[in-house]
Amino acid sequence: MSTPRTTAAAPVPVGRSAHRVATRALGWLRRHCELGTLPPGTTSDMADPDSIYKPLGETALAASLVLREGLASAQEERTARELLDFAWWELRGGDMLYERQLRYMMMVDPLELYAHFVRAGYRHRRLEALLDHLGGLVTMDAVEQVPNRRLAVANAARLTGLARETDWKRLTDATWLGNTPEPWVIDWMTAYCVTHTVFHITDWGARPGDLPPHLEEYLQLWLPVWLDVWREVQEWDLVTELLIVGSCLREPYADPVLWEELASVQHEDGLMPRDGKEVEGDAAQRFRDHHHPTVVAAVAGTLALSRAAER
Amino acid sequence: MPNPGTPSRTDYAAAVEGLADRVLGALRGTGDPAVDPAVVASQVDEAPDPKVALAAVRVLGPDVFAPALLAGVPFGPGDARAVAESLRIFPPAPDAAPEAAWRDWTTVRLLARYGGGSPDSTFTDTPEDTLGVREPSPPGGTGGTDSPASPGLSWRDLSLSMAQLSPLALPNVDGPVHETALSRLRDLSRGTARAMLRRDYPTAARLARWLACALHRGAHPDLDTAAVVRHLELHCGGGGRTALDTAVARGLLDRSQPQRPGGPTA
Repeated sequence: MSTPRTTAAAPVPVGRSAHRVATRALGWLRRHCELGTLPPGTTSDMADPDSIYKPLGETALAASLVLREGLASAQEERTARELLDFAWWELRGGDMLYERQLRYMMMVDPLELYAHFVRAGYRHRRLEALLDHLGGLVTMDAVEQVPNRRLAVANAARLTGLARETDWKRLTDATWLGNTPEPWVIDWMTAYCVTHTVFHITDWGARPGDLPPHLEEYLQLWLPVWLDVWREVQEWDLVTELLIVGSCLREPYADPVLWEELASVQHEDGLMPRDGKEVEGDAAQRFRDHHHPTVVAAVAGTLALSRAAER
Repeated sequence: MPNPGTPSRTDYAAAVEGLADRVLGALRGTGDPAVDPAVVASQVDEAPDPKVALAAVRVLGPDVFAPALLAGVPFGPGDARAVAESLRIFPPAPDAAPEAAWRDWTTVRLLARYGGGSPDSTFTDTPEDTLGVREPSPPGGTGGTDSPASPGLSWRDLSLSMAQLSPLALPNVDGPVHETALSRLRDLSRGTARAMLRRDYPTAARLARWLACALHRGAHPDLDTAAVVRHLELHCGGGGRTALDTAVARGLLDRSQPQRPGGPTA
């Protein structure tokens, strides 16, 4: 080679970096959760569901996975439980989900949000009766959705225990990933579609064996390339999602150097920046801008730690 | 203040692009053999500063033989003299990077084939007159981690190294570097995908040559190589050398069994 190589110090083991990332992210979510409170009087007709309502579901996802994996300290478990209680309280013990689903029958977010709570033991019987009823309608199979969204619904229905028949192969084959396309054509948005396809097939790493072998093979080949390309342009939110994909594989993929870099990018207080741009604004602004990548960091760290512990 | 008599970097770059264009023309058969019988010799003879033209010959290295190897274009004694002269005027540096050493070594061996021996002679013999070029240590051999394509190299570093070695990706040229390309085809496919995603088309075209070369030898790259090459052709960016790399890849593809498109690892 024309450039001399220096021998770098051995990277920190994945498990240690991942644990650091997850613990700090969870702490940040707990300390800032009050910034994600629904305004008083919010009804199921919310004008902007993406601002507070959906982030409550994302927080619940991260916390439910911390409990599911069972590797957290007693303090972290308590934090996770507090976050779930907080989000469930905000959704009025599930009534908000029920009202929204009743009013907007074709919307899938009430079921998707609910599934994260079910994972942690919360239940809302009337919502389940409503979902059962809607699941029997012809319209449910005819909703016009992107293919990876159908997988999200299928996984949520599976978790909730709804009696719905799911043709996983058909749903998977309809996605971009399911077609194992030319890896050099992928774009930013499609990369998110790939990550979600894997999350839902494997229920966020709980069922790595459910990923069809040809998709496992494809991801083992191309995931390192995609991680490299988006790491270079500091798309940390997407990089962290792709790291979750690595933890959802039968043979997990985790690059210790990349994990160490991610841990160094994360702020000391636990905030994970969305990308390489300056983190700006007051606490509320930072919460709005960086809540999602911090949730993703908590999930990624939790699952990577768990997979590293299996080895 | 620059000396008006001294060639500038721009002059050298222009000479490289000019020679690449001419080699490309010969490869595509767009040059007129009656008017332009000797690509390399003519380029040097017609140059305002022959030394600059000879430098371009050194830069292109084994690629000046591409029209002969791929399209059977005659490589005449004048061409051979020009290549030999370029190696005398610009001798290889003793501390050259392994990639440069392999390019020089391949140039010398091709020169022996087209300058002295019969064009059909095999390519495994060591030429008697190596013009001062030393045979590099085998990749991944005793040369340690600095050897190109040593087994310990990551897919990224391997791809960067092999991109610099792309002038060796020609038909009927063999050696340890080609063995490495075949044994680490998966990593070269990754490097190609990375270069395409970064829109680094010069690197993508260099690596596509190795994928096409592998196909030519009956191996199966993990990428639909024809789709990559077609995309590079339509892109048409990156200048004469990238166009030449793309054309060599196309030439190799056209002489290979078609690859099944798609599949698990398209």
